Amino acid sequence: MSGAAEHAVRLRGVRKRFGRGNTEVRALRGVDLDLAAGQLVMLVGPSGCGKTTLVSVISGVLDADEGVAEVFGVDWGTLSAEQKTARRAELVGFVFQQFNLLAPLRAWENVAVPLVVRGTPLPRAKQAAVEALRRVGLADRAEALPAQLSGGMQQRVAIARALVGRPRLLVCDEPTANLDARTGQTVMDLIKEAASGRDEQGRRRCVIVVTHDNRTFHYADRIEEMEDGVLKQTPAEFILREATHAEPHAASAGGAGGVAGGPPRPGGAIDADF
Amino acid sequence: MWRIALRMLLGDRPKYLALVCGLGFAVLLISQQAAIFMGLLIRATGPLQNVAQPDLWVANKFVRYVSETRALSDEDLSRVRSTPGVLWAEPFFSSRVQCDLPSGNSRYIQLVGIDRTTMVGQPPVVTEGRLEDLRIEGAVLVEESARSKLENVRIGDTLKLNDRRAIVVGYCRAKPGFDSPAVVYTTYANCLRFVPLGRNAMTYVLVKVRPGADVRRVQEEIGRLPDVAAFTHAEMTDRTVRFILIETGIGINFGITVLLGLIVGLAVSGAIFYQFTMENSRNYAVLKAMGARRGALIGMVLLQAVWVGLIGYGVGVGCTALFTLQSRQPGMELAAYFPWQLLVGSLVGMILCISVGSLLSLRRVLRLEPAVVFK
Ligand SMILES: Nc1ncnc2c1ncn2[C@@H]1O[C@H](COP(=O)(O)OP(=O)(O)OP(=O)(O)O)[C@@H](O)[C@H]1O
Ligand SMILES: [Mg+2]
Repeated sequence: MSGAAEHAVRLRGVRKRFGRGNTEVRALRGVDLDLAAGQLVMLVGPSGCGKTTLVSVISGVLDADEGVAEVFGVDWGTLSAEQKTARRAELVGFVFQQFNLLAPLRAWENVAVPLVVRGTPLPRAKQAAVEALRRVGLADRAEALPAQLSGGMQQRVAIARALVGRPRLLVCDEPTANLDARTGQTVMDLIKEAASGRDEQGRRRCVIVVTHDNRTFHYADRIEEMEDGVLKQTPAEFILREATHAEPHAASAGGAGGVAGGPPRPGGAIDADF
Repeated sequence: MWRIALRMLLGDRPKYLALVCGLGFAVLLISQQAAIFMGLLIRATGPLQNVAQPDLWVANKFVRYVSETRALSDEDLSRVRSTPGVLWAEPFFSSRVQCDLPSGNSRYIQLVGIDRTTMVGQPPVVTEGRLEDLRIEGAVLVEESARSKLENVRIGDTLKLNDRRAIVVGYCRAKPGFDSPAVVYTTYANCLRFVPLGRNAMTYVLVKVRPGADVRRVQEEIGRLPDVAAFTHAEMTDRTVRFILIETGIGINFGITVLLGLIVGLAVSGAIFYQFTMENSRNYAVLKAMGARRGALIGMVLLQAVWVGLIGYGVGVGCTALFTLQSRQPGMELAAYFPWQLLVGSLVGMILCISVGSLLSLRRVLRLEPAVVFK
């Protein structure tokens, strides 16, 4: 794989403000960031510092006012709304704090949505959805409606939905904030597993997790801290992972600006196919 | 995507029902009122429909509708008879007359008089008794729907028309007029006995044009005679309908009701549908974020609109159809007529109703920022 292919996210001078005049909020005030594929990157920082805005720009659901936002070589700023929609469908998977499952749809139907949206025939989409549910341990709840599932189960369904299309970028905004510690851990395990997954062509995936939850920091390959619309030059904290993932990433330690290209970790118990 | 759209719709049971009911009610209001209106118009032309033979109806030239009584004289009759191109011309009488029942009670009836020899203008169906018996002096046939109005008089019973004795010899079926009076048939000769108008008692002269003669020409010829004018069946129908529409104010009244139905339909279904979309805007945003294309979203909204629209239409039109069937039962005073044009008309009304809601919704959905999914 070439170096360019490893380059998952590239931000240059990204600015975003909301409102005008007195009510103007400068949510992003010049963000530069390079992320490599094959990593789980955590984005931390105080409430209102712009984390959600940043991942919205990265995932192509929000336009930056200024700057360049590129994901796997796709520059969102150069695309029309329809083109962006199409690229989002193939590139990005989402996991949200409040799950955002479609209430009237069954678990498998929810999981099948990203495929259906892309035009996959329903029988094939169903097959893939059921398989994705199996991987998150919910094979037996495929027919359940979201309201019949616990919060943790719903978030697992959401993860299955985010991954069923095998996106190259997985964006999670506070995925554990509405969950208790134990369920949060299960969910983070699944997200961590996803970080070593690959897309259909075997290319590595990049996972971005926005979080407040310091109990999850040890899952990170790299932590970026935000403050007041910018990334801190040097990450204030760097939490070491458990022994199995202890090998330090040189680029992460270098902070924002460098490409964090860690070596691919051995698969081990992780299912690299997801 | 279709499946998702329908699941969204059917998943929200209360709103779904409210939408279907709102639309159904609007369609019901529109189609039912229009049906009654058309029923009344058709009923108003009833006396015309009863008489099929003549080509021309000769009347006082100021006559406004078929049931209006403006007398013609015997001279008028003979002048029409001697107009070139006329095969035959027979008197036809129709007037409001007071009728005393055997019980001593009295009411007004519509007395129809036809020529004694030719029986031109006879009732379409004789249900009991014989038409020929009308030739008996003072004989009358009572129209079926008038039976109850005349306290179920029987054959052989005596009525008093303007204090002169009349004897019931049978029953017939004919279409009543606009104000659905009790219709009683007799001969023109008898009419002259019952109604003391001297010899100026004719309402119409019914004219058959000689085979090969041009109806238009004959019509023009008769039009040159003093005081009278000749109308074809279609022209008379037209006059009657226009009279009911404009001069009775019925047209305006029904028009307003139909319009109200449309407005209620537009407002209620538009508002509910829009609110339904608003409540689903997060779902739409999620779909957008996951790559649902514009066209797919438009399709979803339209499918939902068409779905509730068609079901609401079915409910409304179904109710109107039931109502129309009910009004056909004998003895019902309700007039309703439900031709296919009305089905199309209410369909257009329904489409108007749902298009407001779906256009608003589409605007909402298409402008939706997918970034709200993170909120
Ligand atoms: N759509 C919007 N309209 C106006 N202001 C907005 C909008 N979205 C975000 N903001 C503002 O931009 C700033 C950054 O918001 P953002 O949601 O990115 O913060 P955050 O770091 O995700 O916070 P939290 O941890 O509470 O989720 C905040 O001051 C917020 O009020
Ligand atoms: Mg946030």
